[in-house]
Amino acid sequence: MSALEPTTPSAPQRAGWAWRPYALTLPALLLLVAVIGYPLLTIVLRSLSEPQWGLQNYAWFFGAPVNLTVLQRTFTISAWVTVVCVLCAYPYAYLMTAVGPRVRLVLVLCVLIPFWVSGVVRTLSWVILLQDSGVINSLLRSAGFDGVRLIRTQTGVVIGMAQVLLPFMILPLYSVMKGIDLRLVQAARSLGARPSRAFFTVYLPLSLPGVYAGAIIVFILALGFYITPALLGGPRSTMLSTLVQTQVLSLLQWGRGGAMGVVLLIATFVLLALAAPVMRSRYREAGRR
Amino acid sequence: MLKSRYGIGAVLALGVLTGAAFAQDKPVAGEVKEGSLKGKTLTFVSYGGIYQDGQTAALKEFVDKSGVKLLNDGPTEIAKLQAQVESGNVTWDVVDTDDLPPYVYCGKLFQKLDLTKLDVSKIPEGQVGECSVPAMNYGVVLMYNKEKYKDNPPKSWADFFDTEKFPGVRGIDGSGSPTGGLLEQAFKYAGGDPKAMTVADIDKAIDVVRKLGPDTIFWKTGAESQQLAESGEADMLMMWTGRAMTAVKNGAKYAPAWQDWLVVMDQMTIPVGVKDTDAAYALLNAYLGKNAQEILTEKTSYTPINSEARPKVDASVAAFLTNTPERQKQGYKQNFKFWVPNFAVAQEKWSALMAGN
Repeated sequence: MSALEPTTPSAPQRAGWAWRPYALTLPALLLLVAVIGYPLLTIVLRSLSEPQWGLQNYAWFFGAPVNLTVLQRTFTISAWVTVVCVLCAYPYAYLMTAVGPRVRLVLVLCVLIPFWVSGVVRTLSWVILLQDSGVINSLLRSAGFDGVRLIRTQTGVVIGMAQVLLPFMILPLYSVMKGIDLRLVQAARSLGARPSRAFFTVYLPLSLPGVYAGAIIVFILALGFYITPALLGGPRSTMLSTLVQTQVLSLLQWGRGGAMGVVLLIATFVLLALAAPVMRSRYREAGRR
Repeated sequence: MLKSRYGIGAVLALGVLTGAAFAQDKPVAGEVKEGSLKGKTLTFVSYGGIYQDGQTAALKEFVDKSGVKLLNDGPTEIAKLQAQVESGNVTWDVVDTDDLPPYVYCGKLFQKLDLTKLDVSKIPEGQVGECSVPAMNYGVVLMYNKEKYKDNPPKSWADFFDTEKFPGVRGIDGSGSPTGGLLEQAFKYAGGDPKAMTVADIDKAIDVVRKLGPDTIFWKTGAESQQLAESGEADMLMMWTGRAMTAVKNGAKYAPAWQDWLVVMDQMTIPVGVKDTDAAYALLNAYLGKNAQEILTEKTSYTPINSEARPKVDASVAAFLTNTPERQKQGYKQNFKFWVPNFAVAQEKWSALMAGN
């Protein structure tokens, strides 16, 4: 996220001390290598070496239609979750910047308290809310919409996941929005722009870095979701993590499970690489204005 | 009849007991020598919840007498066990598993059992495997909504699969692995003979399940199945007997159709490479005892696997115990010989169904 921060502090440089910042990152680097790098390497190796060396696990992955359907579905659901999160978080984060400190505290707590509650607990409460005989359906029924299915559908999964992931969208958005100088909007207004024009040409572009940062975090976290789709979804909303779990835990096919993980990882990288230039150019544009 | 059998059992047990006094090494289910495992530690692995609590309570006498320190771990995951066996550092001494794993991985992950170290004489017939003894019995039973079907209730799995004669939402065990017995019943419904099932027939069986339609609910946990019954969201449910019992106790207006209920048992195993095999055998042998099994049933409502066990349970629990002569007659045992070698194929196809394909 810091890479998207608009200002870079220019610290006085002294020769010979340049390595110091790197040394300070050493604990974090060691941790990353130990708990992410090494296991990841093992996964890649196992996907290539079990049961024999070769690409058999990848051939299997792309040969089974169910895997491809589920991979595509995983990306679709994650994209929907990201969209829902942006739409819900944007006005909320804006409100956080616009109110006084006391109301802001309440708003922050409203985001953080669910954040501190385990995702499993929140998902289970969604089960109660979304089920056919649950609160939401009773309300819909009394409003004349009968037989709406929420639980065990893709919609239900998206709702549940969006709620669990919302803080990851609101917080980066808020941190960017609070840095936006609202006098710029006032200036636009005083030059005759209508409120909507001032918003779309001044405020929105300045807030985009926050949208991108939040969207990336939410999207990537959503790709790996396991509990929420498992509890709220049905067969038609199974995500890749569930298939990985079946391969590893009930079939002991670590190689295949590994291959699935690697495919998901690479697909994510590719997607981000495709999205990066768009974001960068938009960001530069926003900076110029 | 029952009484006389009990009498014979007692005489036999007495015989075994006196025999044991002479031949020291002949084990008796439930017995352990005072202080024989002092200073040793055993790790028992099962599925947690009231089930493992009940098992621990059943083993209390063993712990107190032998002096062993018993640690609990779980839940059982075959992949974790595999990692332990592969790395040569097995910390799980006795492991409770599902039906099939001890047969699928016999000799690879689970030790072939030396039956001279266990007293298996009270275990119901046909339940002792090469690598396992049963941990308890239960059943998968068809539960139906009494209010929905009124005087024309479903009577068998054939009715469960027949959505024309019996419209309504079905709930099926989608917790992970396929239930062999259910697929056999589905295949039978499709006109096949489960005893002569082939790998290609698995598809036919799964098709029957798929044809139940998009409204079918695949529940992920026992708790969810219970919830579905209590809220009345499914009209017919495939349920574990323990959960069915609790749902009915909690007021669910559901009744069981016992014909061809599917016999299921958890298995007790000793992994390959445990540090103290004899201590693990001692635990297993104690677990099989009459007292231990009575405690287990009283705490968990699962059916005991010691035929002499006479647990004291109330009527609601007794209604779902599966060891009465009547239930034994209605039970349907899956074709183990078929499912063990075809476990992976079946799992693959079942997972595809679970993933909406």
